[in-house]
Amino acid sequence: MQEIMDYAITICEGSTCISKGADRFKSLIMEELERLGLADKVKINISGCLGMCEKGPLMVVNPGYTIYGGIKPDDVREVIESHILNGKPVARLVVQEDHLFNRFYRIFGDVGFFGKQMRVTLRNCGIIDPENIDDYLALRGYEALAKVLTEMTPQQVIDEVKRSGLRGRGGAGFPTGLKWELTAKQPGPEKYVICNADEGDPGAFMDRSAIEGDPHTVLEGMIIGGYAIGSNHGIVYIRAEYPLAIRRLQIAIEQARQHGLLGKGILGSSLDFDIEIRLGAGAFVCGEETALIHSIEGSRGMPRPRPPFPATSGLFGKPTLINNVETWANIPVIILDGAGWFSSIGTATSKGTKVFALAGCVVNTGLVEVPMGTTIRQVVYDIGGGIPGGRRLKAVQTGGPSGGCLPEAFLDTPIDYESLVQAGSIMGSGGMIVMDETACMVDVARFFLEFTQSESCGKCTPCREGTKRMLEILERIVGGQGKPGDIERLERLGNMIKRASLCGLGQSAPNPVLSTIRHFRDEYEQHITEKKCKAGVCRALLTYTITDSCVGCGACKRVCPVQAISGSKKQKHQIDQAICIKCGQCYTTCKFNAIVKA
Amino acid sequence: MATPLELIKKKRAEAVSRIIGKGYLASTRVYVGMATCEIAAGSKEVMEVFRQAIAKGALTDVYLSQKGCTGRCNLEPTVEVVQMGKIPVRYGRVDKQRAMEIIERHLKGGQVIEEWVIG
Repeated sequence: MQEIMDYAITICEGSTCISKGADRFKSLIMEELERLGLADKVKINISGCLGMCEKGPLMVVNPGYTIYGGIKPDDVREVIESHILNGKPVARLVVQEDHLFNRFYRIFGDVGFFGKQMRVTLRNCGIIDPENIDDYLALRGYEALAKVLTEMTPQQVIDEVKRSGLRGRGGAGFPTGLKWELTAKQPGPEKYVICNADEGDPGAFMDRSAIEGDPHTVLEGMIIGGYAIGSNHGIVYIRAEYPLAIRRLQIAIEQARQHGLLGKGILGSSLDFDIEIRLGAGAFVCGEETALIHSIEGSRGMPRPRPPFPATSGLFGKPTLINNVETWANIPVIILDGAGWFSSIGTATSKGTKVFALAGCVVNTGLVEVPMGTTIRQVVYDIGGGIPGGRRLKAVQTGGPSGGCLPEAFLDTPIDYESLVQAGSIMGSGGMIVMDETACMVDVARFFLEFTQSESCGKCTPCREGTKRMLEILERIVGGQGKPGDIERLERLGNMIKRASLCGLGQSAPNPVLSTIRHFRDEYEQHITEKKCKAGVCRALLTYTITDSCVGCGACKRVCPVQAISGSKKQKHQIDQAICIKCGQCYTTCKFNAIVKA
Repeated sequence: MATPLELIKKKRAEAVSRIIGKGYLASTRVYVGMATCEIAAGSKEVMEVFRQAIAKGALTDVYLSQKGCTGRCNLEPTVEVVQMGKIPVRYGRVDKQRAMEIIERHLKGGQVIEEWVIG
């Protein structure tokens, strides 16, 4: 529940604004409101960096989205008296900005969930009607394309993208500008631009939401890419499991064609560019770029060795520029808000923002976009609202089946490509799963490996055979048959698979296992030597016993599917361990907490 | 000949006037989340409630539109009510019943239903 206020004041507490004194504003504002008797009419929010550092300290007043910049304590008093009390904005302090990023603040500026976020790629998601190009056009849609066609040469576009520091958001983090330059240098005329929307990580839905919420921004990015590298053929490769995203893309493409934004002579220029949609059948490996290209060509989706990279020999052997959905969605912002602005967000090596699908044991599950350099702790606690039910956090999994699990000690790892790798995980495409103490890390590793193992295309032996052998060992461990030396065997196999596999799938498949061994080795040892699963997940390692609290009601006896429970009425019952299949039904049925599992 | 930038500015102006023509300047705007996840949670039914109310004339001076995902998975379906000069109100976990009450109590009665509001 939330009280409805008349005004919401947002104070930017990005590091630049704090260094300029913004952290003292909150108490000052509260004092002033108290003095004027307005305390119950105004909600105060603290936000992360609002991306206008040179104008800081910043304060935003909603409704109306009035941005006040360069404010001093006296100005704060003036704003409150004039704007909040008398309804007159203080014109001399107002910052006039029409940036693309953070557009949601105009509407959502008063919501805590968005506070630490910065919306660049998702800037229109949840704001516009995705099936109506007018909504996109009204918010400066396709202006970046028009600017590029009017004022910039292809080389200038590439330089701008290079200068921005943007790196591939599919997970590997290759510098986008460099990729564009390499593809542009190849001889034409036939070249291809591909958008990789084959999102396959379990629990990840960033790309689907981005396309469903704002399909035109992806198209606009692709057209700009086509102009930069000299291509006139774009393809969106998207999985068939996303029917709504596909339909919205089709509508968007159709509308863009009607407006002369796709097709011949775009916006009266000499650029010809059109986009078609190709559907993938949902194979995880097809997210790997060479496998994806094979799939479009009509062959079986299998990777091939690189080099040659798609930039030189891609689709049908022609130079091909392939980027992920989120990467494309960044392009219009870089062009309009500038590479200089973009590169001011983030860390030394990772610029801009990253979208995460926050899921698992966390209060606010959802789609979040944060500046690079935000710590995992801030995402989980400040945005995600922490762990429900008063339980403790155990690990955060990033990067899906290619990533790793980070324990609590690593929560202050800043989100950037290098720091996450150093901590034993990867950025990945943006899945973030929060696990509490009820999760068994060995079982989690088994789950992810089972996924990659069944998605292995089978072309190279290390991945095909190696992941299978690793999975067998893990199944043995969770089944109570673990042997001394299993951990070392897993490590040796895992490292071998990483080094010897052909593509990214195999090279990253052992990560969930290796990272859980690194951070939770004791849990593996417990499973193997003591045959115990302390989280109570691995069935074969559990024993259910009835304690003296048993009143002999017989409820457990009735639900037991294998008649393993015996005992006469009003007497303590027993479980025959030889018959028990550890289904746990007695445990959930007992009203007297008389059954314990250990 | 007009440059692409001049063309796009013209297109934007036309788009804005088309949106206004559809009633965007109504004193109340209602947005219903319609991404796959929201639809799975039941937002199509919710949309229908608002659409019917407008079609039958029970609601006037209201602009109704769909929108994509705002990222609040655990609170879907979401509905937003934006009124000029007021802080926008976002309702979470809206079903048919709640949608009808939002129409009666908030849109007609001017009373925000605080217990359903997303903070």
